[in-house]
Parts: sequence; structure tokens; C-alpha cells
Amino acid sequence: MNNSVLEKIKILKEAAKKTGTVGMPMGLRLFLFLMVLVLTIILGVIAILFISGTFTAGLSESKRIVENELLYASQGISKQYGYLSVHTIDLAEELSRSLEKTAKQLGISLSNLQDHPEELDELVAREFDRILFCLQKSQSSGAFFILNATINPALEKAKYSRAGLYIRNMEPNILSSSTPNYIVRRGSPTISRSHELSLDTQWSMEFDISDAPYYYRPIEAAESNKQLKLSRLYYWTPALKLPDTSEEVMLCSAPLIDSHGNVFGVCGLEVSAMLFKLSNMPNNRFYTRLFYTLSPIEEDVIKLDQSMFAGCYSARILSRGQTLSISENKNSFYVYTEKNQRRFLGIHKPVMLYPGGSAFADEQWVVAVMVPEEDIVTSVTRLNLLLIGSLMLLFVVGVMASFVLSRWFLKPINDGLAMIKSTELNAASKTKVPEIDGLIEYLALHNQELYEKARQENISSNILDEFLENTKKLSPAERSVFDLYREGRTAKEISEILSLSINTIKTHTKRIYTKLNINSREELLLYDSLLKEIGKKIE
Amino acid sequence: MKKFIALLLSIMLPILSGCGIGREAASVKPVTLTLWHNYGGQLKDTMDEMIDEFNETVGKKEGIIVNVTSISGSATLHEKLTMAAYGDPGAPSLPDITTAYPKIALILAEKGLLVDLDELFTRKELSAYIPQFIEEGRLADGGLYVFPIAKSTEVLFVNKTLFDRFARDTGAKIEDLQSFEGIIRTASLYYDWTDKQTPAIPNDGKMFYMPDSIFNLSLVGCKQLGAEFIDDGRLNLKTPQHKRVWDFYFTPAVMGQVAIFDGYATDLAKTGDIVCSTGSTAGISFFSRTVTYADNTSEPIELAVLPYPVFEGGQKVAIQRGAGMCVIKSTQEKERLAGIFLKWFTSPENNMRFVSSTGYFPVTEEAFGERMSKEMENITDPAIKNLLSVSRVMQKEYEFCIPPLFESVDELEEQYEAQLKAAASRARDAYIDFSRSMDPVAAYEKASHGVYDDFILRFQ
Repeated sequence: MNNSVLEKIKILKEAAKKTGTVGMPMGLRLFLFLMVLVLTIILGVIAILFISGTFTAGLSESKRIVENELLYASQGISKQYGYLSVHTIDLAEELSRSLEKTAKQLGISLSNLQDHPEELDELVAREFDRILFCLQKSQSSGAFFILNATINPALEKAKYSRAGLYIRNMEPNILSSSTPNYIVRRGSPTISRSHELSLDTQWSMEFDISDAPYYYRPIEAAESNKQLKLSRLYYWTPALKLPDTSEEVMLCSAPLIDSHGNVFGVCGLEVSAMLFKLSNMPNNRFYTRLFYTLSPIEEDVIKLDQSMFAGCYSARILSRGQTLSISENKNSFYVYTEKNQRRFLGIHKPVMLYPGGSAFADEQWVVAVMVPEEDIVTSVTRLNLLLIGSLMLLFVVGVMASFVLSRWFLKPINDGLAMIKSTELNAASKTKVPEIDGLIEYLALHNQELYEKARQENISSNILDEFLENTKKLSPAERSVFDLYREGRTAKEISEILSLSINTIKTHTKRIYTKLNINSREELLLYDSLLKEIGKKIE
Repeated sequence: MKKFIALLLSIMLPILSGCGIGREAASVKPVTLTLWHNYGGQLKDTMDEMIDEFNETVGKKEGIIVNVTSISGSATLHEKLTMAAYGDPGAPSLPDITTAYPKIALILAEKGLLVDLDELFTRKELSAYIPQFIEEGRLADGGLYVFPIAKSTEVLFVNKTLFDRFARDTGAKIEDLQSFEGIIRTASLYYDWTDKQTPAIPNDGKMFYMPDSIFNLSLVGCKQLGAEFIDDGRLNLKTPQHKRVWDFYFTPAVMGQVAIFDGYATDLAKTGDIVCSTGSTAGISFFSRTVTYADNTSEPIELAVLPYPVFEGGQKVAIQRGAGMCVIKSTQEKERLAGIFLKWFTSPENNMRFVSSTGYFPVTEEAFGERMSKEMENITDPAIKNLLSVSRVMQKEYEFCIPPLFESVDELEEQYEAQLKAAASRARDAYIDFSRSMDPVAAYEKASHGVYDDFILRFQ
């Protein structure tokens, strides 16, 4: 096997060497011409693909998909959060009025609630229906209010413990349900039991406000911006886990303010991670791992651990990275890089959670749509691989076609040549190529003519030899006249040159003609020139 | 020439068919499997972690993303599944995989919505699982529709901190809680003890015990005493054994020693309103290790787990509970991938991880054996350790009964619980009323007169 390959290589080498010395065979020449044509076509196709942007079409299409998703996501999220913000403001207004009225009935003042801890249960219990109604109406996953007081100020934890009520809807996405999905996360168990609601697994009697931006921030904003309306005082927390709970939530909270301007608590609504996920499902038809985030952003850094996620990509895996740094890629996607170097491609745009003039207007939030980098790269590469594969196939088909065509084209020529080389040209079969068949016919005819001519030339040669022999029979006088005739002289010129009478010359001429067996001076000259042509000399 | 063409095709075909990038394509276009489950609270964290791990490992390799789209309580989950099965307005679309009890799976299977899991598992694979757990998932036509992922039984949970305080004063013994009769005696003792703590307020003793499911109590209680609670799809209430179970619950409930409560016992346990309760082993993650009292004071507690109590003279019988996972019919490919997830999730190693932190039993023979012993050494929560230890003892000593399965069993259970609680509640109100003017025994006699007969008549 190896020997045969080596032999073939040797033969090819020799052929190449021979080509160098004797020139390129016609078959190879034709093959190379065709290859030039094939390459020209392929280069032309590549140029067209480049000009038409086909090679970058995958990337452009990906960008278009992600842009559409971003538009859809930002509209949906803005609408959802705007709706919940409005409900929070309404709840704060209604609750403030209602609690003030109840406090008045109970004979206590909202400005010093802590002086009447025994009345807190009653104050809270009376607002149960309002909170539940707001929860149902807003389609949020939880509603709450917190009063600036605790039922047992004597406890060590009293400093950070605040009374209130927090009801959660475990299934805000189910439109109709006969099973009660409401549970009490914070609040007196008396309230939950009187309304036949279960306590949350992670229930506590009161709110722990030791690390509760949803409590402090709207209260601080309300106290330091007395002139601002409630609609400019609500606050959205970043995604957070309440103490001793397992699910991330975003809370929208607004201050509770009585008619005298005293801030005595907060109330608000919750968006759970599951609610966000189910309300903002991305279209995962093109990229299964495409996901949305609603994130706080600061100096081109997205805070993942404070974001909400929607999509199939595991948010928990992502949020372990804590932050994503953004780098801009001109004319393409933004690149979002995690600390552990996991990279995502996508686009983001700011989303307005607050109106102009809000105490929290400087807080920047973005909605981002991202896809793991490898998903987009592989998708685009796959498309381009198909294109390159097709071009390669085109090239290979071109090579094969050139090879086959050049062989097919040469076959009749080779056959023709073989026929020409053969002795039986007239008996040769047709190649069915008119030009070659014509050439063979012509060559056959020409061969015939040559034969005829040669045959005739054979006859002429004998006559000339005889003529040459006869010249030896001429007398010296006749020879002198004969030579002068060969020089092209006329009879008259010869008589003058030899100083003989014209009659004498005529007599010599007559004898010359007789001896040489010719009839005219022209015939004599013809013989002379024929002898010269064949290289024979008259001695 | 032919060789050349063959070589050419062998190079070009993979490129054009995309096989060369097939593996990468799997990670680019993975199939999403939506999952509904009822593992809330602390179970949710474990479930989340395991699903993340699956997505990052086997899922990534096989092109599967498991996406949790609902975490509900089992009642809500079942309602959602039923709504979806019947196509009710506003019903969500069914997921690809869901946890479900056999009674709900029965409804889904009858509508042809479930995949027979025998198609996804080989016999050899199924032989690795504990046979009775597999059998529980086989429905009427013999098909395996509910795949066991974790099983539970019922045990007795005791707030040992509170009990010890009470025992120090009264001499009550925790061993007494091994029988239902002992529980009642201790409950009476506890009521008196707590009543005496507020001498100024008469009859304000506290409740001691609550069964999470009275239906299960009756089912298992009758079985322990040698009778069937359900016979041919109907409640079999006219037996002396059922009367004994009735008396166990009804009498102390009317007298304020046992809770009549529409909800889980963990709610009352959180606020120290009961000392012990019978309920699912899986309920352990819902028990707070801190009790908060009405004045917002709280204290850490020790949670003890005891085997399921037995009626005196009865057999050691407990219930076998636990939802399994069902695969909803979709495409062959999705069903196959769902099978991969189930196999991974219930592999001995992963199954043990899931159950060890959640109070469930593993479902494979291997996980139940040595692996469980090893895992128990690593558990830091003494209550969970205690629970697994008790579960193993029960596994050896108890006979387990599977709740009967027929179409209206869910409705029957609801009716039985509601009627019994309503009867006890009415009698309790009457008892409180009568006890103002007569002694407790006479008040009880009057309040409970004819109630049992009325109750039985309602189910005739």
C-alpha cells in the first residue's frame, strides 16, 4: 500500500519535472483554467456575502431579538411597577386617614403611639380588610404596614421591633381560586386565626427594622421633605431577603402621615421573586437562556444581589457573582462581566421607578436583557460555519467538475491524436466532435494528396535523370549554346555572343532539342530549374 | 475516483449536517422543563440548590433547564393542577413536571395527561427503589404515574422545653406520649396545670395536643385497632374502633385539651398554644425553633420527635405519605429529559441530600441503608437527626398503610374533617356555656349528647 503510494508520488514528481522541461500538458492546463474560474466564482460569492452583511447577519439578528425583548421587558416592568407604586400611594393615603380616625376613636395620638402599646393590636386588626383588599386589587405578592411602635417596649429587642401586619398572597398569578392563598407573615396570630389564615413558615410577631430600608428611607424622606407629596415619597427597595425568610422580594413603601404632618409608619406592597419571574416571562424561543433583570446600577456596575430576575437562567447562580461590570461594544451588544469572568451579552435601558421631583429620583435602575455569551457566539458561529461549509462544498464540487470536465474535454482530442497517429486514418471512427472529425478528414485528404504528389515526383525524377544524362551527349558547340539558353539568353543574343550566324544557332538548337528530347526553349529552362530544385547540377 | 468522493463526503457531510457542532448546540438550545412543587420554606432552599446544581451539571450536558414556575402549598398546588386539568377559566398551563399526591395524579391520569413512567425507567432502574414506594405511584391501570422522590410518615412532635417545664411541676412523663390514651391523660394534666397558673380566671387551661390530619388519625387509628376506616370507597364509621378514635379526639377537644383548628399544628406550636402534635415528618421544617408568645416575648425551644403514638392494645401502624413527581405529557423528547431529571434527583446520593435536610425518607434501597447512617452523622440540627433516627426505628417496627385511592377520596376527607371539627366546635361552645352552671363531667355529657350519632348519620 505504502509502496504503491510512494511509486505514485515518484511518478507525479517525474511528471512535474517533465512538465518543467517539455511544458504543461493540455489536460492540466485546462484544469487550471477551470480552477481559476471556480475560484473567481467563489471569491465573488464571498464578496457578495460580505457586502450584503450575510456573515454578520447572525449577530444582527441576535441583536434585533434582544432589542425586541428589551422593549417588551421594559414596557412590562415599567407598567407593573408604576401600577404598584400608584397602589402604594393610595394605600398610604387611605391607611393614614383610617388609622388617624381609629386612633381618635381609641383616644390616642399617632404622634406618640408608643405610649399606648395596648391599643396596637386593635389599631392593626381594624386595617386587616383594607390591607387584604389592597393586596387583591394590586395583584402584588404581599401588602404590609408598619407602625412606629412595638407592643412590648420593655423587651430588649424593642428598639428594632415594630408592630404591623404583613399579608402575603402565595399565588398572585392565579385569577380565581377557592383555596385561600393568603398567609400572615408578620402580625399578631390573633388576627390570622380570626380570619382563618395560616401563619407563614417564617412568621414573626413584629417587624425587625434593624436593617430595613423600606422602613427608614421613606420615613426619613418624609421628615426631611415636608413639602413633598406622597407620590414623591414612595421608595422601592432593591431585592432583599427579609430577616429569617428565604425568598427575595422588592418592597415599595410609602410613609404614613397624619393630618398634622406626623410620620407614624410606613405601608407598602411586595413583588416576590416568583411574581416578578412569572409576570415578566421572556420569549425563550430563540435563546433558551435569555433573561431579564431589573437592577440598580451605579457607575456601569449592575448589582446582581439586589436585582430581580426573570427567565430560565438560574438567577441564584448569577446573583452569587454579586456584580456585573458593563463594557460597551461599538455597534454590538454590551458585555456584562461577572467577577468570576462569566460573561453575558445584552442590552439595557434605564427604567423610571420614580417621577421627577421624587426624594429618590437620583436612584438609577435599569432593565437589562442578557444572554450567556457562549449562546450568542455559538449561534452566530453555527450560521457562519454553515456558510463556510457551503462555500467549501462549492469549491470541492468546482474542483471535481474541473477535473471531470477537463478529462471529458480532452478525451476526444486524445482519441483524435491516437487516430491521427494510427496508419489507418481513413478507417478511423468518428469522435463526434465536428472540429476533430473535420481535422481527421482533412488530414486523410492531405495524406492522399501527398501520396499522389510523391508518386508524381518519382516519375519526374526519372525524366530529369534522363535529361541530365542526355546533356552529356551534346557537342561542345551545342553545349555552349545550351549553357547560354540556361542563362536565359535568346537565340539572337547567343548568335551575337558567339559571333555566329543566327542560322548556325538555329541548327545547334535543333540538334540540342533532338538530343535532349525536348521541343522548346521554355521546356529546356523548366528542366534546368527542376534540376536546380532537386539539387542536381548539369556537368 | 470513488474513494475520493467517499472521502470528500465523509468530510463535508458532518459540516453541513451540523453534527460537528451538535454538542455545542445542546448547550445553546437546551430544552426548558417547567416544574411546580410544594416544597416551601426551608425545603425551598434545598430544592433551589439542587435544581441549580442539576442545571449546571447534568442539565448543561444533556441540554435541560429545569425552571421552577410555582411553589405552592400542597392544597393550592392541587387546586391549580385540577383547574388546569379541567381547563377552568384563568387556569395556568400545566408544567412539564409537578409534585402531586396520588389522589390528584389519579384525576390527571384519567384525563390522559400523565406519562406512564414505566416508559422512562427500565425494570433494573426501578428495582433500585423501595418496592412499596413504587407501588404507591401505580394507579388504577397499573401504570406508574407518580414517581417517589421522598416519602414521609407521621410522628409526634413535642415542644420539649415546654413539656419539661410542665413535667417538672407535675411529674408527667414523656414516655406516656407513646400511646393516644397517654396523650389524653397528659393533656388533661396539662390543662389543669395551666389553669392553675391563673387562679383568678377559671377554666382557662391550655391545649396540649393537635392532630394535623384527623382523617389520617382515624384511618391509622382504626387500622391499629384492627378495623378498616374506609370500606369499598365509603367511610366505615359504625365500628367500636372508630368510636374509640372519635372519643380520643372529640372528648378532650370539647374540654379544651386538644385543639380544634383549621390549619396546621405548626401555627399553634409557633405561639406555644400546644405542646405536641402528630403530623408529617416533612413538617419538621415548618416548626420554628423559637416560640413567640402573645406579649412578643420569645424563647428558643428544643423540638423532640417521638414515634407515631399507638392506641393501647393496638398494632404499630403508621401512614405512608408524601407526594411524588408526575411528568405531564408533552413531546417525547421533553418526557425523556424529564426522566433524566427524575433519575438524577432520586439517585441515592442526591436523594439523601434532599431528604436529610427536609425530614423526608429516601426512596432508594441504597439511600435508606448505609448512606442514611453516614448522612445522619453529618446532620447538625438535632431535631432532624432525632427525626431520622425515629423514622428508622419506625421503618423496622411499624406497618405502613397507604391512604386508599379513589376519585372522591379528597372530597370525603374534606367533609369528614370539616364535619368533625364543626361538631367538636359546637360541642365545645356548648360545654363552655354549660360548665358555668354545672361540673365539667355533666357539662360534657350534656354538650356531647347525640353528637356522635348525628355525625354518623351525616355520612350514611
